[in-house]
Amino acid sequence: MAIVRFPALMKFYVDNQSEFSVTGSTVKELLDNLVVRYPTLKTHLFDSNGSLRRYFNIFVNGVHIRELNGMDSPLNENDKIILMASAAGG
Amino acid sequence: MLPELSREEILRYSRHLLIPEVGLEGQRKLKNSSALIVGTGGLGSPVALYLAAAGVGRIGLVDYDVVELSNLQRQVIHGTSTIGKLKVDSAKEKLQDLNPDIQIDIYNEPFTSANALRIAKDYDVLIDGTDNFPTRYLTNDVCVFLGKPNIYGSIFRFDGQLSVFYAKEGPCYRCLFPEPPPPGLIPSCAEGGVLGILPGTIGTLQATEALKVLLGIGEPMIGKLLLYNALDMSFDFVNLKKNPKCRVCGPNADIKELIDYEEFCGVPGHDHGVDGSAGAGLDIPALDLKNRLSPAGNSKLILLDVREPHELQISALPNAINIPLGQLAARLTELDSADDMVVFCKAGTRSARALELLVSAGFKKVKNLKGGINAWAMDVDQSLPIY
Ligand SMILES: [Zn+2]
Repeated sequence: MAIVRFPALMKFYVDNQSEFSVTGSTVKELLDNLVVRYPTLKTHLFDSNGSLRRYFNIFVNGVHIRELNGMDSPLNENDKIILMASAAGG
Repeated sequence: MLPELSREEILRYSRHLLIPEVGLEGQRKLKNSSALIVGTGGLGSPVALYLAAAGVGRIGLVDYDVVELSNLQRQVIHGTSTIGKLKVDSAKEKLQDLNPDIQIDIYNEPFTSANALRIAKDYDVLIDGTDNFPTRYLTNDVCVFLGKPNIYGSIFRFDGQLSVFYAKEGPCYRCLFPEPPPPGLIPSCAEGGVLGILPGTIGTLQATEALKVLLGIGEPMIGKLLLYNALDMSFDFVNLKKNPKCRVCGPNADIKELIDYEEFCGVPGHDHGVDGSAGAGLDIPALDLKNRLSPAGNSKLILLDVREPHELQISALPNAINIPLGQLAARLTELDSADDMVVFCKAGTRSARALELLVSAGFKKVKNLKGGINAWAMDVDQSLPIY
């Protein structure tokens, strides 16, 4: 299982947790499993075409999935996934 | 030729002069350097104070707000005695007291596509301390076009982000966020709150990065992003590369000049620009709601409070149903779409989003309390606090 870290403004949808474990052998599988567990997340994370919304970024062990294999990037036990959203506050 | 330091300056900066990485030459470099701070709020306060104390020779401040009481929980450059004053005047006064040897240039105007290049062109670095998406995209694009580093920080509740976006050597803000979130999705600090110390933490890190860039020492956060969480005291660093598809700094960039950022983001370029209105005849002013609720008014009217439960301890309306906005979609069955309903939150932003949801779910007799419970506290029941 990989460990997923959530941004503060999304914590509300995941029982106020900031970090928890999710199964999945790829990023896509992990997100699918996440949405099964927390259905209200779906429309927040994905657009109507099922693509990840562009104001989110996903990092696996500190590397952007754009530099890996996108949503098909493979995951290993204890990988650290960071889901990051834009924030404007200042 | 770098400027000389006076006897007083040598004493003032003696703790810097003792550090080999700064030294006399570094301090003269700082005296010769300049930084433009966009926003004199939560982040801008510590950035400006520390850069002034450190001896950055010229500091520009852009802001057009006035100091308000609710700013002082975090905007430590201002004070109770400067409430009602222009933020740039309040800040300049404080900075010149802290360091009279530097020059403070103030711009009491919104930072826009019309003035940004003119204001920014003579500064060495820009520091993004703004509170809204349009100004963040504008600040980024200005830095890309002028080839300047953008010392980026942002804050929300207990979470902070920090990076140095410098398109000449690494990614820019748009490489990371090609598009802004839809209007209203990401709450501002005015709507969602922020730990008062958080801008101090992130702002002092921004000031540190600015000094490193100006001095040319250490490893600035170019191509790196810090994600900080105060509750866990966690510092996560991730690596960023240029996005080959970036529309301002990529090889096929198609944005070559500043655009209309308010249109791009769908929101006004300031935090409290949201006037708590749902538009399209869907609003009800607080005084009208009072009449509707009076004994002579409509008999059955449902009040729906979409704030978080902890906010009800600050102020509440009697007999209102509380369903937080985030739970509304899942709890629609608790409501009757045939009922007359008025939805409210703190200031009208969340309730306007709730209304969209309700209308799309077939509710036809719903209204938004314009300006939220704060407007009710102002116009109807002055015993309630405004927050
Ligand atoms: Zn870019």
